[in-house]
Amino acid sequence: MGGDFAPGEIIAGARRAVDELGLNVILVGVLELMGDPLGLEVVACSEVIAMDDDPGTSVRKKKDSSLVRAAELVRDGRASAMVSAGNTGATMASALLRMGRLPGVIRPCIATPIPRPNATPMMLVDAGANAECKPEMLVQFAQMASTYVRAHYGVDVPKVGLLSIGEEPTKGTPLVKETHRLLAAMSTLNFVGNVEGRDLVPSPVDVIVTDGFTGNVALKTLEGALKFVFATLLGAIATNETTRAAGDVLLEYVLPVAAELSAENQGGALLLGVDGICVISHGASNATAIMNALRVADEIDRGGVTEKLRTTIRPDEAA
Amino acid sequence: MSADTVAPLSRAAILELVRDQLAEILEKTPGDIAEDVPFVDLGADSLALIELVEALEESLSTYAAGFHIDDEDLEGLTSVRDAVDYVAVKLQVA
Repeated sequence: MGGDFAPGEIIAGARRAVDELGLNVILVGVLELMGDPLGLEVVACSEVIAMDDDPGTSVRKKKDSSLVRAAELVRDGRASAMVSAGNTGATMASALLRMGRLPGVIRPCIATPIPRPNATPMMLVDAGANAECKPEMLVQFAQMASTYVRAHYGVDVPKVGLLSIGEEPTKGTPLVKETHRLLAAMSTLNFVGNVEGRDLVPSPVDVIVTDGFTGNVALKTLEGALKFVFATLLGAIATNETTRAAGDVLLEYVLPVAAELSAENQGGALLLGVDGICVISHGASNATAIMNALRVADEIDRGGVTEKLRTTIRPDEAA
Repeated sequence: MSADTVAPLSRAAILELVRDQLAEILEKTPGDIAEDVPFVDLGADSLALIELVEALEESLSTYAAGFHIDDEDLEGLTSVRDAVDYVAVKLQVA
């Protein structure tokens, strides 16, 4: 049970998911650190994987940690999904090593929904699981994210863009250029070409594919920029009596939009490519974010997304 | 030989096992896994190696109950040959 506001906000979010959404939630954690579980079922463990622990070795060494135990609950069929706001790399490693990979998948990736006003979210893959990637991995990320968007959001033919520094196929690193060539040759993907950083919000495509290093930098840049803009706006509104009066009118309309676009209402990111459901919530998740992550995990389970992903990767198509 | 006796492993069999498991992890064919090429050049990162270690431990437990690769020894395993030699010594394969 990790996260910046664990255990309080995590348990509160889980309790809300039970009360407000009717979900069945199991808490996995160290009893002595957990405090009051608010009447929820608990699977006790004895170890904690810290935010700065090495992902691979920590999963191997701390076999009785909450992350490893949660992944085992999914593997063993005792839970339909796991949700974590803890160490992202260790979450991926736990899911990978305990649940295993879906057939043909080289490496799982993180699909983070980026909200769009009055539209389904754009899915950014990889948002941070794989700092170094090969072109074949990016092709698989695009395939899996397209399947996810189709299955979960009902977008029949998702548009896929490749993040680069220009629209032309000749722009970008060797990784981007080779990935462009492979994606363009695929008949089963609706690849529309390169997109740029400015296309992250609001995105003209349904899926943006990139390596995990770039994706994570883009995601965090976006998050920081939006916070800055909103804080600046609120500062301007507070300038004097006139602006405050205008703010009284404006905020009634601005705040609901801000809430709709906030990370806590998006429900976390799905780890694509493992043989089970693993939703990664923001490290700074509050109770609302955890409740929404649990909601998304449940929706993914009921929608049979993992089974649809199972037949997504066809290695011969990427050649 | 009784029904539950497991035939001893040869070095060639260990090599085949390591190659097969690494190939599965890296989505390659076993023939692409050269014995002397460093893991990193085969495309195996630290997480892939941990997948390999856990897969080997599970497979080799059939031959030696509780077979375990020490984390401290992982740094010395940089290629398939290293891994095969390590397992052979641990299982006392001639």
